[in-house]
Amino acid sequence: MRNSGGDEERLAEFSLGGGDEDLLAALRQAFAARRAVPPEFVQAGQNAFAWHDIDAELAQLTYDSTRLTEGAVAMRAQEEAAIRVLTFTSAEAGLQIELEVQEDALAGQILPMQSAAIEVQTRTGTDQPISADEVGCFWISPIPSGDFRLRCRPVAGCAEVVTTWVRL
Amino acid sequence: MRDDPVVIALVRRAAAGDQAAWYEIVDRYAQLVWSICLRFGLSGEDIDDVSQSVWMLLVQSIGSLREPAALPGWLAQTTKNECLRVLRAEHRHAHAGLPFEDQLPVDPDAVVIDDEVLRAERDAALRAAFAELPPRCRELLSMLIRDPPCRYEDISATLGIPIGTIGPVRGRCLERLRRSPHLRFLWGDGIG
Repeated sequence: MRNSGGDEERLAEFSLGGGDEDLLAALRQAFAARRAVPPEFVQAGQNAFAWHDIDAELAQLTYDSTRLTEGAVAMRAQEEAAIRVLTFTSAEAGLQIELEVQEDALAGQILPMQSAAIEVQTRTGTDQPISADEVGCFWISPIPSGDFRLRCRPVAGCAEVVTTWVRL
Repeated sequence: MRDDPVVIALVRRAAAGDQAAWYEIVDRYAQLVWSICLRFGLSGEDIDDVSQSVWMLLVQSIGSLREPAALPGWLAQTTKNECLRVLRAEHRHAHAGLPFEDQLPVDPDAVVIDDEVLRAERDAALRAAFAELPPRCRELLSMLIRDPPCRYEDISATLGIPIGTIGPVRGRCLERLRRSPHLRFLWGDGIG
């Protein structure tokens, strides 16, 4: 994002043309801004480096049936409350993963429907791979406690997909 | 701002698999991602969601950035896009049939991320310049930027220098800071 000619005033605001007091104040603010960021937030970003040589596409959470903005009311409150559905989408891989939270299992489906190998990864390790059948359906039981994500490798050999971390 | 060779070098090194360079990039610009999330009124899980996506998207495209020097702008725009994605995901459930734009907690066009980019670049340059000062300057300036500020008596006792010399030493240290190559890109016309 480069600044065009019309941004001279704003640039001046962020430049350091003042005296010693101004410079000290700017320095103070620079460290305060860094300190304001939680260490875990920084750590999580640094940990992303583990993916630098892995060729998977990221599937992001694009739908969560339980997420409501403040003050909003669910359209069909009772039905919605009974079933929690999460959808992860990767536009690049052309793939979605839906998870339905049932009593003691997650019912998953890959869309478009296809067979795949699914890995459930937790912060501490990776569980036994699960297979999704020819219509893309798979089960995860028991439901993972804590943070987990799914790694999905379609049998047909197209792009591998990893979801973002999620906790139910 | 003109191209900062430090940023270009960090991007090149991280793209080549240098973990230390990646750690430094995150350390440098975490405040940028964080502050933009706050501007969009996000909190908690949503911020984590955005953060995960932004850094993962960066780590996978860092080798092919068109303008490595524009990394802060890339991060800001990506963070903004991810914030909107998260807000859209919530909206789809709660407000089916109503226009997305009307229901946002904040007007996306009004969130000026350019300011956040400038601020982040300036703050990162100041911290980098500070890190390269001699130890005595760093000690003195650290005590001077504390909030609330240290009294000169305490500075004198801690650093073992007479109170009367604090002012002049402060001036010299700030001048060294001012002349750091890291800050060359922050001057209006004139110095640097």
